[in-house]
Amino acid sequence: MNAAQPQGRRPRRLTPGRIGVYVFLISAALFFLLPLWIMVVTSLKPMEEIRLGNILALPQMLTFEAWSKAWSSACTGLECHGISVGFWNSVRILIPSVIFSIIAGAINGYALSFWRVKGANILFGVLLLGAFIPYQVFLYPLVRIFSMTGIYNSLTCIVLVHVIFGLPTMTLLFRNYYAGLPIELFKAARIDGGGFWSIFFQVILPMSTPILVVATILQVTGIWNDFIFGLTFAGRENLPMTVQLNNIVHSTQGERAYNVDMAATMLAALVPLVIYFVSGRWFVRGIAAGAVKG
Amino acid sequence: MATIPIRVPNLAASRTTARSRIRKRLPAAFALLPTALVVLVVYIGCMLWTVRLSFTSSTLLPKLDWVGLAQYSRLFANDRFLTSVENIAIFGVLFISGCLILGFLLAVFIDQNVRGEGVFRTVFLYPYAMSFVVTGVAWQWFLNPGLGLQKLVRDLGFPNFTFDWIVNQDMAIYTIVIAGLWHGAGLTMAILLAGLRGVDEDLWKAAKVDGIPTWRVYVSIVLPLLRPMVITATVLLTTGVVKLYDLVVAMTLGGPGIATEVPAKFVMDHLFERNNIALGTATATIMLIAVVSVLAPWVYARYVRPQGRHA
Amino acid sequence: MRLKKRVSAYTLAFAFISSSGALAQQKAEVLHWWTSAGESAAVRVFADQFTKAGGTWVDNAIAGGVNARAAGVNRIVGGNPPTMTQFNTGKQFDELVSAGLLRDLDAQAKAGKWREIMPKLIVDAVTREGKAYAVPVNIHGQNWMFYNTKVFADAGVEPPKTFPELLQVSDKLKEKGVIPLALGGQPTWERNLFNAVLVGHGGPDLFRKVLGERDQKAAKSPKFKEVVEIYGKMRGLVDQGSPGRNWNDAASLVITGKAAMHFNGDWAKGEFIAAGQTAGKEYGCTIVGETPREIIGGDVFVFPATKDKAQLATQDKLVEVLLDPASQLEFNKKKGSIPVRMDVDISSMDACAQKSHAVVKDPANQVEAQELISTPNFTGAMQDAITQYWNTPNMSADAFIEKVTAAMRDAS
Repeated sequence: MNAAQPQGRRPRRLTPGRIGVYVFLISAALFFLLPLWIMVVTSLKPMEEIRLGNILALPQMLTFEAWSKAWSSACTGLECHGISVGFWNSVRILIPSVIFSIIAGAINGYALSFWRVKGANILFGVLLLGAFIPYQVFLYPLVRIFSMTGIYNSLTCIVLVHVIFGLPTMTLLFRNYYAGLPIELFKAARIDGGGFWSIFFQVILPMSTPILVVATILQVTGIWNDFIFGLTFAGRENLPMTVQLNNIVHSTQGERAYNVDMAATMLAALVPLVIYFVSGRWFVRGIAAGAVKG
Repeated sequence: MATIPIRVPNLAASRTTARSRIRKRLPAAFALLPTALVVLVVYIGCMLWTVRLSFTSSTLLPKLDWVGLAQYSRLFANDRFLTSVENIAIFGVLFISGCLILGFLLAVFIDQNVRGEGVFRTVFLYPYAMSFVVTGVAWQWFLNPGLGLQKLVRDLGFPNFTFDWIVNQDMAIYTIVIAGLWHGAGLTMAILLAGLRGVDEDLWKAAKVDGIPTWRVYVSIVLPLLRPMVITATVLLTTGVVKLYDLVVAMTLGGPGIATEVPAKFVMDHLFERNNIALGTATATIMLIAVVSVLAPWVYARYVRPQGRHA
Repeated sequence: MRLKKRVSAYTLAFAFISSSGALAQQKAEVLHWWTSAGESAAVRVFADQFTKAGGTWVDNAIAGGVNARAAGVNRIVGGNPPTMTQFNTGKQFDELVSAGLLRDLDAQAKAGKWREIMPKLIVDAVTREGKAYAVPVNIHGQNWMFYNTKVFADAGVEPPKTFPELLQVSDKLKEKGVIPLALGGQPTWERNLFNAVLVGHGGPDLFRKVLGERDQKAAKSPKFKEVVEIYGKMRGLVDQGSPGRNWNDAASLVITGKAAMHFNGDWAKGEFIAAGQTAGKEYGCTIVGETPREIIGGDVFVFPATKDKAQLATQDKLVEVLLDPASQLEFNKKKGSIPVRMDVDISSMDACAQKSHAVVKDPANQVEAQELISTPNFTGAMQDAITQYWNTPNMSADAFIEKVTAAMRDAS
């Protein structure tokens, strides 16, 4: 499929311009990788070596103990099973939350961008402003609302919270992406007599791949790394992995095992990282053109 | 733009009378209804609740007495709050412009059909996936003059090299900007890359035929087309600025002294640690007013006044 | 077929109800913030003891006092409270008491003779209008000075007894190329150091007047100014990398001999123990001040009010477990604190704990931790002032005192 090829200038032999491209990308990559380097080498050192303070040096005594400890045996209170405990809870929260919030955002963005509904833009304006309020302000009233409706401390509750707080960014993302699509497409579909849902599923959704990828990146990261909502709304049975991560790395008065902290952080980030890497396959050019030409 | 040959799926044609047009729009209204409910109950409800609490003397638990503007006068006499406001302005400007520039450059360079695109993209994005509680420690160590960069360069034989921003009250906020760029530029890149890849293929072909240099195409043609995505990225980055908290806590805890304090941290400290809900909500209200007064004209002009995109 | 199905459904339901009833009698959900390795080991002592007594301990650990307290308060207010939840000794739970959300533990306090076996100011700190509302479990001393014995021996000086002495000794240490003072340059620890100077040089009365009564006259007294000036001079004793550092990294500097002294609460022992060092050998601990006065605070558990008889019985059992002499000893060994019961035999504890016990034994040496006598709000305001003073080398003592009195006025 020609449309899936990255665009424009064909890859040439190494011209000065190409070298410049790689020099820029590689030096940027080095800047981005620097903290990761510190974290990786620290996670592979025993604590005695870390106390010496040579943060950039390779480990003299290479050990993977911190990694296994972080995953399966670090104590977080009474439980000594590392961060693995909350892994499946996080997955159970993540999947429905991501799916529902993206669906909600796509439908909202589509309705706002292509249809004229009275008051819809005011709605969007308020929603957008809502994105700027610190989450912490919502906690207390939401606890009261949810305990009145009886779903406080359940999986439903935490999924609902994620969908609600995903609304502003998801709606914005899809609305603005759709704003960049040629309006002629939509008009033609209307002339052909397409209704709200049929145009959405048959015309708009197939053209949304790149933005779906971005939305997934945003939501998977946000929801996977969420700590405060999970803690407040999920209930003890559904506590996400970040609660264990926080228990391991965050302690006011306790002694600190930096190697375990670093390993735990990297392990906890694996799911979003895999998503990022895999998402590349769908990060393709020319979707719009391809869809149009059929 | 030139007319594009369009073939849409075959859908039964129908007469468009005024009534049927309204009936067609009904599903759109229904689709927006749940969001409208959420906006009304959660967003507007909580905003009003917050504003109301800022006029009380609530401490650990909310109570509904009335003390007028007492919390606000307290707030504006608080030098930590004033420093926070100044810091968020510095951070906001540098962080947003920095992320946009760096993000755009990364997106464009990645778009040059490079080898290992997936690796580069993941490398630029990974910081976004990591909890700041610990990556903040890595940054803190690296920036610490006795442990990180300064020591490294001095050990290499430059004994006068100094890089002590993180412990310098005047410069510490810029280290927060650096770590912020590291965290946020990748996401900006992803959003702009999605936009780049949504750009019509024909446009490139046309530009090629006309012999326009690539960089000119990016700057004069593609960038304006990316406007909606740039706006999306800016809004997302701005929400990040307003909510800036984790990064500061992980790296400097607001220090040295109060040099890197930010408003969201002020809110958090007062809501939870200092049992001062009233002052915390007053701060949140001020932040809200600031956001509204900056954004409302823009939101109104751009989204509310023009109904949809249709003439 | 259908009948059979229904019967089995009933038996299942019945079994479920009865089993959950049986569980409810002994099941205790405990919310706390003890999550580091040492702390986890400590809380295990209570859990094991409770299990031995026939209960089921459902552990709900959330790191960070702020997070855990917020979660606890949210659940109490939301009507779904845990069986018991942790606070620091002091004023953090005042409003829960006045809102009637906590169980009154006066009967347990009287039966357990708390007034006779615990330091007076700890019992006072859990008492509201004559009734106890929380169970204290430990005493943390907050103004300990940890030092590297070898560093002092090499420099040929003794660990300082007073703060003026500390300033002199530090010059000698500097000459030897040692960082005199290792500090975690975060506002909490800067405040903790200030409080250590305030009580060590200014004395308990000044400490109480300034932090407890917010007495502006005391803040303008010459003695307070002396304290402020000493603290100001200590700014020159830390290394350049101090700001923002975690206390654990500061302790590491003393452990590795790069720095000589580190002020912290007795919990810092955990870091020395984890590095394989022994109190009295590689490192020492002392309280700086003409007479050693110990700033004491600690942790308490509160019990959300309930009408459920089974829960009440569970709570009673928990109180017993927390204050049982054996669990007190074991818990505090692991936690780094000392037992809240002064009648427990502590001869098996380490040298620092024994020192602490000996100091606290005399009521004249007990000084309330800031959180016992000052609201979280005023504590925070003081902290803001202190961190500005500490980190701004050209800020004068008078300018700082001005900030302190302003905080006093504002917090009233």
